[in-house]
Amino acid sequence: MAQSTIKVEIKRQSTPDAPSTTEKFEIPYRPGMNITSLLGEIALNPVDVSGKATTPVTYDSNCLEEICGSCAMLINGKARMACSALVDKLEQPITLAPLSKFPVVRDLAVDRSVLFENLKKVKAWVPIDGSYDLGSGPRQAPQIQEQRYPLSNCISCTICMEVCPQFNDVTGFVGAATIAQTKLFNMDPSGSVLKEERLRALAGDGGIQECSFSQNCVQACPKQLPLTEAISDMGRDVFIQQVKDLFAR
Amino acid sequence: MATAASPTPPAAPPLKGVQPLRAGVGHSFFWRRLHSLSGIIPIGAFLVEHIISNFETLNGPLAYAQQVKFLNSLPLVRILEWGFIFIPLAFHAFYGLFIAIRGRVNVNVYPWASNWMYVSQRITGVIAFIYIIQHVWRQRFSGISLPENPGAAFHKVQVELSNPWMLAIYVIAMIATTWHFAYGIWLFAAKWGITPGDKARKKFGYVCAVFGVALCLMGLTSIYAVVYKYPNAPANVMPVQPAGIDLPAPTVPPPNSTNPQQPGEAR
Repeated sequence: MAQSTIKVEIKRQSTPDAPSTTEKFEIPYRPGMNITSLLGEIALNPVDVSGKATTPVTYDSNCLEEICGSCAMLINGKARMACSALVDKLEQPITLAPLSKFPVVRDLAVDRSVLFENLKKVKAWVPIDGSYDLGSGPRQAPQIQEQRYPLSNCISCTICMEVCPQFNDVTGFVGAATIAQTKLFNMDPSGSVLKEERLRALAGDGGIQECSFSQNCVQACPKQLPLTEAISDMGRDVFIQQVKDLFAR
Repeated sequence: MATAASPTPPAAPPLKGVQPLRAGVGHSFFWRRLHSLSGIIPIGAFLVEHIISNFETLNGPLAYAQQVKFLNSLPLVRILEWGFIFIPLAFHAFYGLFIAIRGRVNVNVYPWASNWMYVSQRITGVIAFIYIIQHVWRQRFSGISLPENPGAAFHKVQVELSNPWMLAIYVIAMIATTWHFAYGIWLFAAKWGITPGDKARKKFGYVCAVFGVALCLMGLTSIYAVVYKYPNAPANVMPVQPAGIDLPAPTVPPPNSTNPQQPGEAR
């Protein structure tokens, strides 16, 4: 089908507290575009559909190949990565909006610090910092590696949190990504030293218990992480830890 | 440098939007898990018992009356009733409402089957909540008291279901309640880590579906038996039933009684 232009409607706001407005653009068609190249096209000539000059659209992006996790946004209402959303496969006019559950910084850029804070709360790291050389770590069985590898694919895009009905201001739910990372680091032979602390953290308010298994996370995850499996496994481990703490601590 | 005092990091401004995990704070894990467990035991177990007992209506008013009498003759039955039915049910109902109002349904944007199930669990829960309030009030705490008059049970339900609106409410509530229970078992297994794998969850989904449909059909069959199979049931198939005694108390002293004040005629 010979298209001459691409119609785009973008929800914009100039500052975190400014009211949002929608700007419409019409971009010359090129085959094989994605949303980031579309936004780059607008930045080259930031003029809206009525010919009024405007500013280039602000958005987060880095790798442009769905590995850095920064360009998540609402594309035609659904949370997706802009880099892997192909214009040829989208209904027009294409609507772009910032993720709805994170504070807007400007235009399509949002502040996703809450995920970073959550990862810190569950100590999502391997504690290998010492004042001396700790030597090489324990060996990892390939069976463990195979289970861990899919979880290590998380790109912290926060789409799993955006699509979750339980992730909101009222529950303050931690979200699937952090729970999956808890499993990843609990299964690490060195990282497992913090296992109990991680499991206790996940039992705090806003913890794993807020999950109601709508399973939107695993449907929407651009990296196909086994998120529901991780939530189920961590649900069991958190419960066992709570029982142990009740009777043995 | 002499000024080597470790720099204190600037206090991070509080985050806007959804707040981070409150590690080590609160008891919501306990209450949420208790809510999940209470749906299986004792409430789910009671629902199964209730539907099995109701199935006795297929054998007619007397059979049903005997089942009601049997249940009400269990030792400590009032304590069982409050401790294993009313109190857990009230907790499950109110905490469930609390959970439901805290969710932000987005099935309009993400119309996936599992997301619909998330919504259905809340809708069926609310239907069951409203239904059970009127059901417990109208069948247990008002009208003729069935623990003392088990023979009136069939008739009482039949009168209730003679209203077509009430019949519709009972059918809808039967479907909603068994749906809520069946999916609740599935959710329980998923959340407690009994069925972590995708295949395990899928297979267990079929098990729960079959179980839920079977339970629902049993319940609907009982409704059919009450409404159509035994029309015009007698008002009380076990008239005058003081607890444990099937004859009126004696009034006449036996012949040659040494204590005429103490009635107890031979029978």
